[in-house]
Amino acid sequence: MRGALLILKKEFLELSKDRKTIFFAFVMPLLLWPLIFSMILSLEKTDSKRREDKASRIWLVDPGRVITSRLQAEPKLFELVSQPSGDIRQAIKDQKLELFVEIPSDAQEKIARQETCSIKVLTDESESSSSLALKRLRKVVSTQEKDLVAARLQAIQAPPQLAEPMNIASTNVADMGLQMGKLLGSFLPYLLLIMMYSGSMQPGIYTTAGEKERGTLQCLLATRLPRNQIILGKLLYVFLMGVISAVLNLASMGFTFTKMVGAAMAQDAPVAATGHGMGMPAMSAVALGLSFLLMIPLGLLFANFIVFMGIQAKNTHEAGTALAPGIFVVVFLGIFSSAPGIEKMLWVPYVPVMNVSLAIRKLFSQQGDPVQYLVALGMTVLLAAVMTWISTRLLDRESAIFKQS
Amino acid sequence: MIQLVDIHKTFVVKDKKSRSKKRIEAVKGLTFTVQPGEIYGLLGPNGAGKSTTLRMIAGLMKPDQGELRICGLDGLAEPERSRAQIGYLSTDLNVYGRFTPRELLRIFGEFQGLEAGIAERRGMHLLEKLDLHDFADVRMEGFSSGQKQKVSIARALLHDPRVVIFDEPTTGLDVLTAKTVLDMLRLLRSEGRTVIVSTHVMPMVEEICDRVGIIFDGLLHGDAAPAEILSKWNVKTLDEVFFQLAAQAAVEA
Repeated sequence: MRGALLILKKEFLELSKDRKTIFFAFVMPLLLWPLIFSMILSLEKTDSKRREDKASRIWLVDPGRVITSRLQAEPKLFELVSQPSGDIRQAIKDQKLELFVEIPSDAQEKIARQETCSIKVLTDESESSSSLALKRLRKVVSTQEKDLVAARLQAIQAPPQLAEPMNIASTNVADMGLQMGKLLGSFLPYLLLIMMYSGSMQPGIYTTAGEKERGTLQCLLATRLPRNQIILGKLLYVFLMGVISAVLNLASMGFTFTKMVGAAMAQDAPVAATGHGMGMPAMSAVALGLSFLLMIPLGLLFANFIVFMGIQAKNTHEAGTALAPGIFVVVFLGIFSSAPGIEKMLWVPYVPVMNVSLAIRKLFSQQGDPVQYLVALGMTVLLAAVMTWISTRLLDRESAIFKQS
Repeated sequence: MIQLVDIHKTFVVKDKKSRSKKRIEAVKGLTFTVQPGEIYGLLGPNGAGKSTTLRMIAGLMKPDQGELRICGLDGLAEPERSRAQIGYLSTDLNVYGRFTPRELLRIFGEFQGLEAGIAERRGMHLLEKLDLHDFADVRMEGFSSGQKQKVSIARALLHDPRVVIFDEPTTGLDVLTAKTVLDMLRLLRSEGRTVIVSTHVMPMVEEICDRVGIIFDGLLHGDAAPAEILSKWNVKTLDEVFFQLAAQAAVEA
């Protein structure tokens, strides 16, 4: 093992000389997620405030003045505009106004006759400002509707319950932590897989095909170090780079998500947050620990695949071409594991990568199945062990070492 | 001492046109011995089998057949122990560009079983001999071919090997650096080491080699002192031996 550790030392020493790689591998993940999330949240907040502060422009045709006065009473929410020039549909699409509302001329009579009066609305729901305008209008109409129903019930001296024979009183049992866990579990597993694979890929190519390309691999092989120790050292390095990359991304993302997105969610749902706190630390400790345990053999599996392909390649270009599609496979398996109902398929725990992604998702949503988890762990450990056995014999193949570009 | 007995090596290559696999016999039964305190020149044109032979001696390749002994050790049965006796310099003039010579020699010393401090001291001593000590702490990415070769020589000799293998050590070097390399080879001989060099630079062979083996098409054509070879082939230069061998090969083909 001493030889492998010496190779590992050499690889990290070489890495320490490359400031660019250090920045992109270790510093960038720490900055990236807070930056991305803070930018998204800030933009969303600004946009939302801008929309909320702006009155919705409505061209209202209401000859019987059924809702006109109600809309006029809310100048901060509604701005009644005159008929726009040209086609009204195009005007809405062009955002010259948010809604066109048409109340039939006989609306008052219909209401008086206790009939239903239909209000025609033109809107563009692909635009958030139009959707907001419709939401505001629905609220006004709903209030008016309630007033009318109350008046009708009063007229016939009936109790208010007549119009509401049933109602649902629901209580949300999920605390904020569980909600966040489910949210994280929906995208975190496959992001982790991608980070681990891509984090291992470049160092892996550099230390395998790169050594061949630079002509330095022969120097290593000519030393007294056993070849399996050389490969093992390189495997350890590639594995550690993948794990470090994934852990840094995870830590950065977790911190950002908990602090920034969590705070934003708590603002939106203060009742759910009260008393329960965020619930994150307790959930995270177990879920993160078990997820990390799964990531170790998976990282070793990725490192083996990368080293295997890297050593077989003639040069870094060929290695890159061979390894890049691996990202798509990882993404595909990761996304597939998030598909609805996938956990009910009996074969899923036996599919490498996908089983890990699914197990992590379950852990974060507090629905972890111990059997499924152990199968995923066992399968990945077994595969990683077999791949390591194969890899450590790679340098005995002269065709792999002396393949030249 | 290096001892090769009936060494064979065959490569399987893919013919891109016919998509079939071809067997190329690169080394066809080489037998020779190199004694301590001797510089043995392995000569031959490109593709003759020189580098393959040296790689087999250095433990980078395994012969398909034959016997290989390094300082009394079975090179095939005890590869790691055998490699520990060898200092190998490949044809590639490449070094780890991110390292300084000091760092490279320290880490390679550790690979060869030395303590880091001892490796560094020995490395610095070798760099001084090779007139490169001023560059000991400069990153090697900007080094010239000569500077890289000097560092590679220091790396190969770091663990005080009893057998030294230099594969085309002066190719691509200026005359001054080439002289430094030749002086180093002489020094190694005077220290009683077993030295084997491959080259196609004939004046160098005549200048420093005690004995030469001429490889052509994987076969050894002559294994004697340079003067004996010239006399046997009745030629004035070793180049002429190649011309005659090439002519013979053309007639046989």
